[in-house]
Amino acid sequence: MQIFNSGLFWFVEGILFVVVIMAVRAWAADRGLPMPVWKWLLFLLWLGLAGFTIAFVGTSFGEGESVAGTRGGFLFGLVTIIAGVGIWRLLLAGPVSDGEDAVSEA
Amino acid sequence: MGAGPVRRPPARLVRIFIATFFLAGALVYGRTHHAPDLVSPIREIFPESQRMEVQQGIHHVYGDGEILLGWAGAESAAGYGGPMLLLVGIDTLGRVAGVRVVEQRETPIFWRMVRAPEYSRRIVGSPFDAINYDYQEVVAVTGATLSANAIVESVRASVTKVAGLAFDIRLPVPPRSFEFGLLELVILVLFSAGVVGHRLGGPIRRQLRWAGQLVGLLVLGFWENSPITLAKITAFLSGYLPDPRNALAIYLLLAGFLLTSIFFGRNLYCLYACPFGAAQRVVGAIGGFKLKVPPWAVRLMEGVRNVVVFSALFLALIMLQPALASYEPFAALFALRGSTVQWFLLFIVLTASLLIQTPWCNFFCPMRTFELVVLDTKRWLKGRGGEGQ
Repeated sequence: MQIFNSGLFWFVEGILFVVVIMAVRAWAADRGLPMPVWKWLLFLLWLGLAGFTIAFVGTSFGEGESVAGTRGGFLFGLVTIIAGVGIWRLLLAGPVSDGEDAVSEA
Repeated sequence: MGAGPVRRPPARLVRIFIATFFLAGALVYGRTHHAPDLVSPIREIFPESQRMEVQQGIHHVYGDGEILLGWAGAESAAGYGGPMLLLVGIDTLGRVAGVRVVEQRETPIFWRMVRAPEYSRRIVGSPFDAINYDYQEVVAVTGATLSANAIVESVRASVTKVAGLAFDIRLPVPPRSFEFGLLELVILVLFSAGVVGHRLGGPIRRQLRWAGQLVGLLVLGFWENSPITLAKITAFLSGYLPDPRNALAIYLLLAGFLLTSIFFGRNLYCLYACPFGAAQRVVGAIGGFKLKVPPWAVRLMEGVRNVVVFSALFLALIMLQPALASYEPFAALFALRGSTVQWFLLFIVLTASLLIQTPWCNFFCPMRTFELVVLDTKRWLKGRGGEGQ
């Protein structure tokens, strides 16, 4: 479709990407979770993987390769979900500092 | 016999007897309603053929004016999903006139991994005593050794037969020894670890189990893609026994499964060696959840699994196609090959493994059904033995 080749699409994509990163930053701060560089790196890698999965399925179906899209979707979707859960648990790891929740409870 | 009342088999055993009866019937039907068509492939190889005559198991092919065009012989060799039958035509000058696959029972995934047509074309025109029988020539992708070997051995057997009967030449058959490699060694080590772990118990059992399953995941799974599958069991039940010299691993796995089920009351294959079980445990460890499934759901899923296993076996036996029974998603994970349904199953099972402990083993795996059959039968026979004393 034409929209995917337009500048607007990539403009919206960039905004969404920044919003996701800011949301994670706010979420971590809210819970008082430390976010060292390695956590950010892992998260960005996972975000890239999730984006790749969606792009793979989308482009495969767009090119009429429905079998590749379906099977690739199952495979990369599975890896994305499992990696997502693993990374989620890693993000929660580490000592919890005084976040906004802790302040409001106090 | 004792004077007490005759002990009836429990309801589950009665269901096993009934299922066995129907499966045996399906096998008898499959065996008796099955005759390979050799005439069509012979006509393809010898298009000028007018008449054929079978003498001592080989076809003598005649053209116009009763001119002998050549001979055709068909012999089978055991592949992954059962015997493979190839027909080889030899012309009167002793050269290969053509090769046709008459029957094969491989799963489509494995069949796509071998280059049968390319190999057939390559040997056409070769003198029958100078054919290349290197199965590596047939393997397109690693992991299809059994299928590739079956193609080559079937051609060799057919050519040897024709050479002996038509040309009175006894071709040398190279001596074959048992292929004992890393896979076989690992299987023996895993079962030994299982026996030690089972005897010792405690934390050592847990550690051995983790170690065994991780080795199983790497070697039996990703390296060799050789877990026990329903197709392999069905091939055995159909009487299609693979040559133990090049399929020793499956004999070791099945013997280990049966013997440990009988002597330890729990099969150690699933506990210590199964690569798919290991994959689920690894994913479960990543997820960290252990949701409890309500008992009614467990019973329901067990019933569904038994019906699925019976249906798959029945279909495979009645059609004499062991590969049809294979519904496991193992190849999708370990060889990245499978049907869309198998990919879907893999996705569901491994995603569920994040939440529930080993869902495939508990709800879908046919090995659990076979284990219960072995254990129930053993328990009943033991009870009967006790009665008689």
